[in-house]
Amino acid sequence: MRLLRELSRRKLRTALTITGITIGIWALVVFSSMANKINDLVGQGTEFYTDKIIVTDGEAFGTSPMRLDDADAIADLDGVGAVDAQVQLLWEADGSGANFAVPNMVIGLIPGADAGYESFELELATGRALTTEDEGNVVVLGSSLAQEHGVSAGDSVEIRGETFEVLGTLQPTLTSPDTNGLVPLATAQQLYLDELPPLVAEAVVAEDVVNQIVVFPETGADIQAIAAEIEATVDNSATMTGLEFDENIGATTMIFNAIIIGVAAISLIVGGLSVINTMAMSVAERTREIGIKRAIGGSRGRIIRELVAEAGVIGMIGGLIGLGLGAIVVVLANEAGRASGTVLFDLTPLTAAFALGFSTILGMLAGIVPAWSAARLDPVSALRYE
Amino acid sequence: MALLEGTNLRKTYRMSRRASVEALRGVDVSIAAGEMVAIMGPSGSGKSTLMHLLGLLHAPDRNDGPPPGLRFDGVDATTLSDRERTQIRARSMGFVFQSFNLVPTLTAEENVGLAAEYAGTSRGAARAAAREALDSVGLADRSTHRPMELSGGEQQRVAIARALVNDPTIVLGDEPTGNLDSARAGEVLGILRTFNRERGQTVLLVTHDPEVGATCDRIIRMRDGVIVGDEGVMPVSAASHADGASLPGYRPGPAIAVEA
Repeated sequence: MRLLRELSRRKLRTALTITGITIGIWALVVFSSMANKINDLVGQGTEFYTDKIIVTDGEAFGTSPMRLDDADAIADLDGVGAVDAQVQLLWEADGSGANFAVPNMVIGLIPGADAGYESFELELATGRALTTEDEGNVVVLGSSLAQEHGVSAGDSVEIRGETFEVLGTLQPTLTSPDTNGLVPLATAQQLYLDELPPLVAEAVVAEDVVNQIVVFPETGADIQAIAAEIEATVDNSATMTGLEFDENIGATTMIFNAIIIGVAAISLIVGGLSVINTMAMSVAERTREIGIKRAIGGSRGRIIRELVAEAGVIGMIGGLIGLGLGAIVVVLANEAGRASGTVLFDLTPLTAAFALGFSTILGMLAGIVPAWSAARLDPVSALRYE
Repeated sequence: MALLEGTNLRKTYRMSRRASVEALRGVDVSIAAGEMVAIMGPSGSGKSTLMHLLGLLHAPDRNDGPPPGLRFDGVDATTLSDRERTQIRARSMGFVFQSFNLVPTLTAEENVGLAAEYAGTSRGAARAAAREALDSVGLADRSTHRPMELSGGEQQRVAIARALVNDPTIVLGDEPTGNLDSARAGEVLGILRTFNRERGQTVLLVTHDPEVGATCDRIIRMRDGVIVGDEGVMPVSAASHADGASLPGYRPGPAIAVEA
């Protein structure tokens, strides 16, 4: 308490240092929250792609058609447990639904085609799931889509100019299913066909079109070997396994994380230097006071403890304010981005605790050297210091 | 037995690579318990340096001469570590300086309490001791004021309260009245004299003010780093005491000094 009062009596300098730390911790909190979110998405992706092979047309990722025959051919391969042939297309025909995060998608599928292999579970919030009996314009909406359109089971929603009945809505998963609308395969096939250029459309049969096949290998099967076999069996196909997902996306994310953490680290180094500077100035300014304290019996250890504690408190206050401001930015940005599905930040308790602990320790470390040199002052010459 | 005893005390300050100042050139001094002693002399005579050595703030030089001796309260102070000397300063010594030297961000009570804490008193007990010490110098109503809110005389009384809070064996003052007008100086000296008389605290004052010297029992005179005189002060007459009757313990006017 006395320490806080002492700091409050040195308002200007304390405030300036705290500002330095605050900016550093603010940057750390905001950037770490962003990294958390991205890692979370990647983690979900890794989980989603584990133990499955995504097969798309090799020429253009997911946009030109394969055929249902291809799915049957894959299902006949050794080690393949189940095949889920799908048609995926953007919710908005003009692509305007795409953004930095996950785009809104319409996914046409045959319910139950995964034959129980899918480990990524979806839970209903309202209504019911799709069944094989469903046909026509019916949809099960992911949580973000449901929120965006303000609908639940029994309402209707417009997709590409057509009215769809909402059969059910899903619980939030914090990843791509939130922005997916699930429709019967035949419905998606028709939507897909409408989108193709007339010349291409003439060459394909609606009931035959798929643009993504999710392959579930049997437990213990060699996923990479099956992927290679699929590419050999189906012309112009491209496969992606969980391993490849990690390699491709994981590498990108790591670079991104490195940049984010680098920015935060630079902010903190600047903040730390500002504490060192302030403490050094504070010690110089208080040379005489330190001399008094030494003369009347303050031990070196005690002087060091007082100054290091002071620096630690400065760091902690800066950390608290930085954390508070960072949290405000995170909450506001997420709130603003939620409507468009762009939830960019995730401020975890671990990040908050780290930021606070780090700022306190940073402050104390920055205070040690000036405190040490202060404690070594000769009391008599310190007393004469003007 | 002497409370403080120094022999062959020398101190040379190196000002630069070539220049050095011989502040003390070999001083033998003995202060008895319960004495109130003034060390007097012109600037540069070494009186402050002597006080710094006797107050264990500096160690005497060991080279270029016979080994120095310094005993405080029966303890050989020449072999003590910095930590041990700091502890003796905290528990058995009280310091009063010319420029008050209070910690500007602390209140009067906190300033006094700090010295008690350094002596090992718990914070709560230190606060109580601080209030009592402030009361004994007549500043009970100023305990929550910070130094800049106090007059010079009041600040010096806070400093005296700080020096006395641990009931030290000896109080050392370096020009304690140097920044005060004569009325305030009288108050400060009166308090020191009272504590010396009533509690038997030894008081050692460095001063160039003859009136301060006259208040003491004994005057040690210095010049050029050596002691040139050591005399007792004769008790003043009732007539001259009347001049300063309003200031207990302080006797302004000519004091008669005799060679010891």
